[in-house]
Amino acid sequence: MPLNSLKPYNRIGMMLALILLGLLIVLPLLFILWTSVSKGSSIDLGAPLRNMLEHDLSQVLFNSIWLGLCVIAATTVLALPLAWMMAKTALRRHKWLDIVLLIPFMTPPYIGSMGWMLFMQKNGYMEQFFPASSAVTPAFFSFGGMVAIMSLHLFPFLYLLLRNSLLQIGGSLEEAAAVHGGGFLYRTRRIILPLLLSGYMMGALLIFVKTIAEFGTPATFGRKIGFYVMTSEIHRYISSWPLDFGKATSLASVLLAACLVMWYIQSVISSRYSYRLVGGKGSGARMLPLRGWRGLICWLYVGLLLLASIGIPYFSIISASLLKLRGEGLAWSNLTLSHYADLLAPGSESLRAILNSLGLAVVASTIAVVLGTWFALTVGRSSRPGQKLVDLFSLLPNTVPGIVIVVGLILFWNAKWMPIPLYNTYGMVVLTYVILFLPYTVQYVKSSFNQLDPVLLQAGHVFGGRRLYVLRRILLPLLLPGMLAGWMMTFTISNRELVGSLLILPPSMQTSATYIYAQFEQGAVSMGMAMAVVSVGVTTVMLVILNIFSSKQKVE
Amino acid sequence: MKMAKKGIMLALTVWMGIGLAGCGAAGAGNTPNPGDQKAPAQTSQSNAAADQGQGQDKLLSGSVVVYSAGPEGLANKIKEGFEKKTGVKVEMFQGTTGKILARMEAEKSNPAVDVIVLASLPTMQALSSDGELLAYPEAENADKLIPEWSDAAKGYFSYSASALGIVYNTKLVQAPPASWSDLAKPEWKGLVNIPDPSLSGSALDFMSGYLSAAGEDGWKLFEQYKQNDVAMAGANQEALDPVITGAKSVVAAGVDYMAYKAKSQGEPVDIVYPKEGTVISPRPAGIVNTSKNVDNAKAFIDYLLSDEAQQLVAKAYLMPGRSDVEAKDRANYKDIETYKVDWQWMNEHTEEVAARFTQLFK
Repeated sequence: MPLNSLKPYNRIGMMLALILLGLLIVLPLLFILWTSVSKGSSIDLGAPLRNMLEHDLSQVLFNSIWLGLCVIAATTVLALPLAWMMAKTALRRHKWLDIVLLIPFMTPPYIGSMGWMLFMQKNGYMEQFFPASSAVTPAFFSFGGMVAIMSLHLFPFLYLLLRNSLLQIGGSLEEAAAVHGGGFLYRTRRIILPLLLSGYMMGALLIFVKTIAEFGTPATFGRKIGFYVMTSEIHRYISSWPLDFGKATSLASVLLAACLVMWYIQSVISSRYSYRLVGGKGSGARMLPLRGWRGLICWLYVGLLLLASIGIPYFSIISASLLKLRGEGLAWSNLTLSHYADLLAPGSESLRAILNSLGLAVVASTIAVVLGTWFALTVGRSSRPGQKLVDLFSLLPNTVPGIVIVVGLILFWNAKWMPIPLYNTYGMVVLTYVILFLPYTVQYVKSSFNQLDPVLLQAGHVFGGRRLYVLRRILLPLLLPGMLAGWMMTFTISNRELVGSLLILPPSMQTSATYIYAQFEQGAVSMGMAMAVVSVGVTTVMLVILNIFSSKQKVE
Repeated sequence: MKMAKKGIMLALTVWMGIGLAGCGAAGAGNTPNPGDQKAPAQTSQSNAAADQGQGQDKLLSGSVVVYSAGPEGLANKIKEGFEKKTGVKVEMFQGTTGKILARMEAEKSNPAVDVIVLASLPTMQALSSDGELLAYPEAENADKLIPEWSDAAKGYFSYSASALGIVYNTKLVQAPPASWSDLAKPEWKGLVNIPDPSLSGSALDFMSGYLSAAGEDGWKLFEQYKQNDVAMAGANQEALDPVITGAKSVVAAGVDYMAYKAKSQGEPVDIVYPKEGTVISPRPAGIVNTSKNVDNAKAFIDYLLSDEAQQLVAKAYLMPGRSDVEAKDRANYKDIETYKVDWQWMNEHTEEVAARFTQLFK
């Protein structure tokens, strides 16, 4: 009997996966690298480095990395206690929290930052309520404030990964330790933390990459406090006159290198601390009841977190969407619903944009989940070089700023020799979203898969199950939560994707994100904010329906 | 799946549309036919008519791809007006001047665009001197355009313009500053925004225009601004928004049409043009020389310069590009004191000015 019964899947899929990934992701990126080192007919490999030194960009690179590390630290502080509460205590029964906690992540980052700025700025909403607060608010416009905004936006990501890992650890291991006299701290240190590390490292890597590739917050808040990062510089070279794709791409390749180093560290640590947690035995989860002061502390924590991550930004966003005149400030007489009426008027441009976004997100996330699950299974435990390569390739889109990938895609798909006329069509947008967000599904499914004990699949084979049967009856049901998480994440992000859409949408086509951006550019801030509220609302409703549906399935 | 199917259909439609436009162009002439008011959905039929008609009468069909730098409301109205008048479908991409150029650069090997409408004249001049524009000497009404803003060789046409001024919050500012140098005074410390010239073509026009008139000494003003904590804040709207909400009091080098628009909605803002003069930033349109729908593109330029479109321009609080059309709700060309700017110098020094200015204010 083969020791690793997954081998057959891998062999079949590996080559195909590599070819597909190469075509979809690697080639367009190589196009970018090519532009960064080629000058006319000659090739200059030192160009990226020289560009960095010549333009004194080392400070900017340092800013990016420092910001990434600080945001990892802050998201950990926010997400870890929450994940523990939602996995191990009676709080777990409150499923609605999971959806609510996704809201910060659904919010386009630049909208979230705008919300914070409107709240904290001079004569902002905070000062309109508490005039005395003007002594404190200027302190918010600092590096610390930027880390806070970005962490409050990104923490749900880490939270979902950590909670899933914690749930899979199950109660039996901990109980065993408790029976043998291990105290709470001992159990945490010797059992929970090591088991959690693999999932955490993956989450931390994604947070790091997301942070340094983020454009919305640096473009709004960062610019205001004079904190410049790599993405804002890349964006400057790529979208303002004089354009310099060469410089932009060389910065992008430095950014890519920084992310690859992080990826390497992550993969070393993960492979050292990877355990098989989901075996055949039932693992009754222990739930800590929440009574008295314990319950109070937990609910207080959740309450404060929701207030900071959703309450404050959404107070600003919703207020701004209701104001008749933004110069008049908050007053009952200054509120109106007319922006929403205009927005949802039948046949209006804005309604079309909303429907466009939803359609694109559904198609893109479905394709992304199918491809991503396949790639994740191919990667498996990434023991062989080929698997490592698939892992790396499928993670690539997350390590390069979206705008760079998109330029690569345009260069590739709009090339003269390209026989498939995909550019400037609906299909191109779907393709872009799939490529940009593939890493999420791959990460989620991989993380579920890594915790499966191969014994389960071997058992399936021993009892005569064919490959497809084992896949359908054992593997897929166990992977389903990971796939679902991947789908929801992809759906959520594609629904608000901005940077890529701005460049890749065919003329005359808008999504809700580009609509919002256009409103801000045109000065119709209230319309933009109203659109943000509507599109986040629609996404939330979709997710709630999906959640109800999936939990019903589990019962059956 | 339904969406995917729709996507393929869409792709096919666009593709066929382009193909048909190519056929139709052979027999069609330059001027739009005012009698042809067919809806865009019927273009394929009008196409067939064009092929049979042997081009006796000038009949346009198919589509034209336009990349347009705002304002969005105006761009949409022009699109509607043009479609109604000619029956030609407009595929429009809207973005800032920078985004349009980025898209053109990315599409370089296989350009899709026919007409570009930018918000910055030096940028268009650069494209023109690189030979990327198609001259259209027969453009209707081109002789009525204000000559120093447009190309003598008829490569580009400044169909509209905005002036740069001092925009202020009327609730916070009782005595508005009258001159550029006022903003360097201590009473304005920390209260002033200025747009980022690398993001706002008009702001860049102001800075390079001011420097072309004032010479190297002009930098002193900006250095004083920096010492007075003037904040460089994104593109035009990002600079204006904090003034509307009261976080800042004044925008230096603010684009006037945005201020007029906000004012007309009732927001507490107003604008003054400094007495010593300012810069007017023309907004040019031109046909790219890789255009596949040249006749439609030419018709689009004709429409931009027509009475109808010029009135739309005026209604969007922009200055009409034609000297014989006046705007009612804003200051006109002849009412605004301007510096003697040197567009040639500006064209040559744009890059340097933007780099030095952003370096200074970082």
